[in-house]
Amino acid sequence: MPDAIGGHGPPYRFHRSRRATMEDSLTQIAKAVVSGLMMGMVFGLVALGLTIIWGVMDIVNFAHGEFLMIGMYCGFLTATGLHVDPLFGLPVAAVVGFLLGLACYYGLVRFLLRGPMVAQLFGTFGLMLFLRNVALMVMGANPRGLHQGILVGKSFIVGPGIIIELTKLAAGGLSLAAFAATWWLMNRTKMGKALTATALDAQAARYMGVPTEKMNALAWGLGGGTVGVAGALLVNFWPVDPNVGLLFTMIAFTTVALGGFGSIPGAAVAGLIVGLMINVAPIWDALSTCLGIECLRGGQLHEFKYSFVYLAFFLITVFKPRGLFGWKY
Amino acid sequence: MPRKTFIVVLLLALALAVPAMAAEEIKIGVLYPLTGGAAAEGKELRDGAELAVEIANNVKADVDMAMAKNGGIKSLGGAKIKLVIQDHQGNPQLGADLAKKLIQDDKVVGLLGAYHSAVTKTVASVAERYGVPMINDSSTSPALTKEGLKWFWRTTPHDTTFTNDLFVFLEGLTQGKVKGVKAVDKKELLPAVSACEKTEWGSNVDAAIKELGKASGFDPQVSLLYAAKAPDLSSEVQSLLAPKPGTMLFAGYGADAILMIKTLKSMKAKPKVIWGQDAGFESPEFVSTLGDDVEGIITRTVFSPRVGEVKKVSKQVNDMYKAKTGRDLSGASARSFTGTQAWVYVLEKAGSTKPEAIQKAANEIKIDPSELIVPWKGIKFATTGSDIGQNELGTGLIGQYQKGKDGKMTLEIVYPFDLATAGMIYPIKGW
Repeated sequence: MPDAIGGHGPPYRFHRSRRATMEDSLTQIAKAVVSGLMMGMVFGLVALGLTIIWGVMDIVNFAHGEFLMIGMYCGFLTATGLHVDPLFGLPVAAVVGFLLGLACYYGLVRFLLRGPMVAQLFGTFGLMLFLRNVALMVMGANPRGLHQGILVGKSFIVGPGIIIELTKLAAGGLSLAAFAATWWLMNRTKMGKALTATALDAQAARYMGVPTEKMNALAWGLGGGTVGVAGALLVNFWPVDPNVGLLFTMIAFTTVALGGFGSIPGAAVAGLIVGLMINVAPIWDALSTCLGIECLRGGQLHEFKYSFVYLAFFLITVFKPRGLFGWKY
Repeated sequence: MPRKTFIVVLLLALALAVPAMAAEEIKIGVLYPLTGGAAAEGKELRDGAELAVEIANNVKADVDMAMAKNGGIKSLGGAKIKLVIQDHQGNPQLGADLAKKLIQDDKVVGLLGAYHSAVTKTVASVAERYGVPMINDSSTSPALTKEGLKWFWRTTPHDTTFTNDLFVFLEGLTQGKVKGVKAVDKKELLPAVSACEKTEWGSNVDAAIKELGKASGFDPQVSLLYAAKAPDLSSEVQSLLAPKPGTMLFAGYGADAILMIKTLKSMKAKPKVIWGQDAGFESPEFVSTLGDDVEGIITRTVFSPRVGEVKKVSKQVNDMYKAKTGRDLSGASARSFTGTQAWVYVLEKAGSTKPEAIQKAANEIKIDPSELIVPWKGIKFATTGSDIGQNELGTGLIGQYQKGKDGKMTLEIVYPFDLATAGMIYPIKGW
């Protein structure tokens, strides 16, 4: 046998049977898919608030990522300030997010509605800068992460080595629950019907006695509350700093565009797709090893992991502006 | 007229007095990341530089260093050094803007910094444009000294040196040269994988690892770059762990290095060796956040408090640093101390604050190893060749985190082999 570890051999320098390599690759792909789906559920939850606000009011909330950042700080501060498990931060973040949404509506958005579309764009953009800089002033620029907690750093193995991180599993599960609750609220309650009516035709809804002003406020509250919960879930495994919102705003926009503006199931499905997109690199690594393709192997795609998401955003807005489940545009 | 003459004389006297007064204080502009992902390292760097200035400005009888005896710059009439410290947040553009401000508004004599190689690069180009001398204490991208800059000198060894040390060390591990470990079968250590953050520094480390690893067969099978600022590393770690690596090599700044280890732990990684390229792997925050999880991780460094056992002056300075900050000197603070010290000696030799005089002094200076707290062969900047401005006499260490009897995590030296302070823990215990 030639020297298998001499450094000039093919990438897999060990003598493994093709079958073993294949099984390995399949496990790797399964791992990447599972981890992508778990992240995807959280991305979906992040996007849910954005899609509710858009659906009801036709307003794009640029400050959405900042709401998330505030949710993350809520989770973080509850856990470190009160020395309790980060999971207790969830209700706190939900309440804070809801109130923040209401405050933004009554304090800013209500007035923006009277102006032209451009005023709404600049208004929420200004809100974004304002919230980010307030956070910078209060919390400082350093990233903070949680290092203790029931779930933090724990994981278990399923099947042939698929590792499930508890923080992400919990985040995924709770975000499913939040989706279900929101769906129920929107489709099975009177309040939800009023919200939908406002979304479909605000003027007609007003004539029918729906308090549209209150519905708008409620949409902002719900939007803030759901993204607050997403933040408190995220902070279990994602360090928070005042600029963290930007990345998530971009991801949330892609998710909403992909799922269709205003669609709740759309946000969930699109979230999963975005989660998978971020895991394209490990999937490709395993696939290329399995199939013996030399191109872009060995982790080279990781540099572009968010580029795939942005590319998808571009393609969707150009070719399918309604998104997958869109009913309004 | 006597009155007019008097006024003229008065003005002349004032004009002469201003430079004379200015000479009593020599301002050096310092750029470090005091907030942001590498804030903890930035504070270390600042504390190290401030301690060096304290020793240079005051007579400290208990420190065996020439600059501790002078109480200021002797050749400039005992002028004191003042650091004007700015926070560049790890942002290259901000770094360049702050450098201009320091040069134009604060009228600094020279610059020191800036830790992140990407920031040092932009700051160095500002210094070059304005003809202001800059000493770099802590950036290790080899490219910085490849551009033939005339106003840039670097005291720390760079990543080519450090990465070379790594492969010599790994080879040594297979040859039984490492203290406390029998010769390891090379197969155990293979394949190697690497992940580096993707700015100037990390991408150069990545290139160095690929290049220098080839000869010994340790070049990584998976090598990826990641954005230190978008910190979810689970997809990256999945790719890294796919070939079941024996050796994992990393270059990360602050928060991302911590996240990397946390992710490895939650993904149940089982490598034999984990090596970090200093920076994030060496910060006190790395140890305080991860606790026992760091045991067995090795990192290249330029300093360990253990150096004090063989170098008296290191212990003296480390004691002062500890009294001041409550921490031991780290690779970051020891290097900022040494960089600041180089500034003091250059100014002493120049005997002037004119840029040309400083340039000449920096190009000619030779600082004796006995003056330094780091275990180098001295400081002498290259003036010819392909590495202009680089200190030719710097050397690296490789340390391993080990838990002492007192329960404290210490960086024990495992390389160079003859300086080893403890037997190496092999393989890493894992989680």
